[in-house]
Amino acid sequence: MDQQFIGEHLLPGRLGHFFVIASFVATIFSSFSYFSSARSESAGPAISATWLKMGRVGFWIHFLLVLAVFSVLYYIIECHLFEYHYAWEHSSFSMPGKYLLSCFWEGQQGSFMLWTFWQALLGLVVMYTSGKLEARVMTIISLVQVLLGTMLLGFYFGDNIHIGVTPFDMLRDAMQNAPIFKNPNYLTFIKDGNGLNVLLQNYWMVIHPPVLFLGFGTTLVPFAFCLAALWAGEYKLFVKPVLSWSLFNGAVLGTGIMMGGAWAYESLNFGGYWAWDPVENSSLVPWLTLIAGLHTLLEYKSTGRALRLTFILLLLSHLLVWYSTFLTRTGILGTTSVHAFTGDGSAMFYHLIAVLAVLLLLSVFLLVYRWKTMPAVVQEEETFTREFWLFIGSAILFISATHIVVMTSIPVWSPALKWITNKDFSLLDPMSHYNSVEVWIAVLIGSLSASTLYMKYRHTDNKTLLRQLAVPAVIALVLSAAIAAFQSINLFQYDLMLFAAVYGMVCSVAYAVTIQKCNLPKSGPAIAHFGFAMVLLGILLSSFNKHVISNNTGEIFRFGNKSEKENIREGMENVILFRNKAVKLGEYLATYTGDSAVEGKDKRVYYKVDFERTDTASKKITEQFTLYPDAFINPKGQQGLSANPSTKHYWDRDIFTFINAVQTTKADDPSSVKKAVVRNDGDSVQLQNGAFMIFKGFRKLGRDSRVAAGDSDLGVAATFQVYGTGGKRMKDLEPVYVLLNGKTPQMNPDSLIEIGLNVRFNLSIADDQRPLADVMIQQQDPMDNYIVLKAIVFPYINVLWLGVILMVFGFFVSLFSRLRTL
Amino acid sequence: MKKSHIIMLILVVVGISAIASTFVDFSTYETFSSAAAKPGKKFQVYGFVQKEMDMKYDPVQDPNHFAFFAKDKAGNIKQVILNDAKPRDIEKSEWIVMTGYEENGVFHCSRVNMKCPSKYKKEMVTAGKG
Repeated sequence: MDQQFIGEHLLPGRLGHFFVIASFVATIFSSFSYFSSARSESAGPAISATWLKMGRVGFWIHFLLVLAVFSVLYYIIECHLFEYHYAWEHSSFSMPGKYLLSCFWEGQQGSFMLWTFWQALLGLVVMYTSGKLEARVMTIISLVQVLLGTMLLGFYFGDNIHIGVTPFDMLRDAMQNAPIFKNPNYLTFIKDGNGLNVLLQNYWMVIHPPVLFLGFGTTLVPFAFCLAALWAGEYKLFVKPVLSWSLFNGAVLGTGIMMGGAWAYESLNFGGYWAWDPVENSSLVPWLTLIAGLHTLLEYKSTGRALRLTFILLLLSHLLVWYSTFLTRTGILGTTSVHAFTGDGSAMFYHLIAVLAVLLLLSVFLLVYRWKTMPAVVQEEETFTREFWLFIGSAILFISATHIVVMTSIPVWSPALKWITNKDFSLLDPMSHYNSVEVWIAVLIGSLSASTLYMKYRHTDNKTLLRQLAVPAVIALVLSAAIAAFQSINLFQYDLMLFAAVYGMVCSVAYAVTIQKCNLPKSGPAIAHFGFAMVLLGILLSSFNKHVISNNTGEIFRFGNKSEKENIREGMENVILFRNKAVKLGEYLATYTGDSAVEGKDKRVYYKVDFERTDTASKKITEQFTLYPDAFINPKGQQGLSANPSTKHYWDRDIFTFINAVQTTKADDPSSVKKAVVRNDGDSVQLQNGAFMIFKGFRKLGRDSRVAAGDSDLGVAATFQVYGTGGKRMKDLEPVYVLLNGKTPQMNPDSLIEIGLNVRFNLSIADDQRPLADVMIQQQDPMDNYIVLKAIVFPYINVLWLGVILMVFGFFVSLFSRLRTL
Repeated sequence: MKKSHIIMLILVVVGISAIASTFVDFSTYETFSSAAAKPGKKFQVYGFVQKEMDMKYDPVQDPNHFAFFAKDKAGNIKQVILNDAKPRDIEKSEWIVMTGYEENGVFHCSRVNMKCPSKYKKEMVTAGKG
């Protein structure tokens, strides 16, 4: 296209694209140099050292260029250069400054950049801490950076084939067919950007993606160390760094996943923190294999067993991160996910398959190549040893991961099955399916995680072990029986899970106190296991008795095997709240009292709902609070609303509300004005719902505050007695008619909020020289002003959040005590 | 792998799959006629919202009742009732998956998954309870 355009800023885009390509070339250079350094290690130490230096320089340049790409894109978004597609699509003028960063990760390219950035930063840390393994580890890390870099290249071959997409594409190129771009002056017509998806305008979206991507990125480090160890055929050096990195990874990825849950819980109306959605599942699975790998690595370190399994698990962890990218970004999930993700066409699809294939083949090749020569212990271990149960526990985590991957991948493999059986397969009820399988995993892992702490490597005295385990088991039995009774947890498998979780907690505490003597640096595992068991307990308590209070058919929960008909009957979860009319929601009386809009590009309206709890015996109000669930009305030019929940937090439960539909009439709608004429005392005017008002005469006003200040202003008030439904006398209304300067008429209304009444009048003189009032009445029908609300109680959800925090704390305690002893 | 490992693993796998198999409810995307053949049984029907036909959501009457018409892949049109609020943008859906059962000639569903084209993005939206 040779056409010239006016007002475009072309420099940042060209600079940005140049930096993308340069940083890509730098990683190729770095990877090749490191590779050469590793190849020449034995032959020529001097040459190897030179190559190593070049590799380092290459990687540093790569890192700096990644920073440069970031800065340019930030500049484009911050300066609102809407000639760039990325800025136009993801940002707008009215967007609050704190969401500028969220624009980065709303789009595909920005999140690939974030991922690249973290891996580049981690690469620098590894570069200076990996010692003898540096050349090999960094070869792998730069290689993965090369592959990741291709996602941002933006090389086009014809119309449909391209390698990667840069964030620096021009808007006019992205939408070539739009007629507006025929005009060289087009930029003057683009007043504002499309703006951030309203669901993402939330503080969780500012912090959740960076943490999650740091977690994803960190899986690269154990991956690279494992491949390096296999490549070198040396299986000692990698153990310590990989242990530390896996601990860090477990903490960060775990935090990232649960932040996603917290985001969903706090700001999305999915009705919970976890829905077994494919996007959630595919981020959980790498964490499961990572944790399994961490435990088999511990086993390998102490006993020399399970080396092969360790490699498989840790390599899988990073491969699964790529697989999750494949699932969530190619649109292949189609029918099964609620999360909004772009399907970027077939180019992205084959591109990610190619990357996955390269990494998978490399891993398989090195594993097969070294399989026979890897050290393994031939002799069978005793049954009551730590290594045996570490192995079993990891195997169970791996089974869980496999189950989740297979079921989440239904859209991937069902086309093949369709080809054979001619049927489309899907999961009918994903929630109850995953729950009913994973509960058994939770039972096993919960009870194993704490018991295994007590076991010793190689040989454990059975009698001592039984004695040590018996006391916590009895305590846990009593406690869990009590909880089951109080919380009426009445399904066998969930009672078992409850016991496993409580047992895990009691056992971890007992271990930290009796065996480790409360020594904090040593008790990382006990804290992490305690936190994990607490997470299980929190999940169970908050989900099992999660109940909807905005329905009138009683409680529901989805754990039992009910028929669809029962589910539907019990699933009447919405309640309608007419304005100013109290409705019973569980133990509360809820009243919708009004709304207030926050102006912006996307109109956000807060709906005020007052909650009141009354003591049944004394009839006194014991508690009052107000929730403000809000919604974007018609966001981004779409019909309907996009709701955000509002939650009341108690220490032992949360009350979670969100809006599903609204109806509010505008007060100035002329069609809703009713007219009447009154002149004599006692003239009555009918109002809605059996209410009426009686005219009680005019009153001339002096210098009344309701009359404007001028000396020649004339004011007349009309008095009305208002009677509500059933003839109950309410307030008197006194609308005022004013003649400013003796000639300009003005009507000052008076209103009665309880019945939505607004009255004003026009004064005139009738033929008989007596005054008469043309009354204009507006009354909002309460039936025309309502919200449809869903309210859910999550009991003991804080147990879950606290458990996550403790688990992450435990990881860090272990990590720091390992780093100290390095 | 040691004998004990193998035994343990087999036990775990057998245990889980034995229990799971009683719960696993695979389904296939069916048509209204197969749902009609077994009233009360849960099905997933793939179809298309009939945008030109009547759609009714009147929260004043019942906030948990959204009625519309859908056409399945065999071309049959049937009334569908969702026990929830009207899903946002259902008029714009390209296709939907309805989970529910048939009764008296009406398909009652608890969940509607839909594919929505937004201007430049394709996003998935679920209504009802997952």
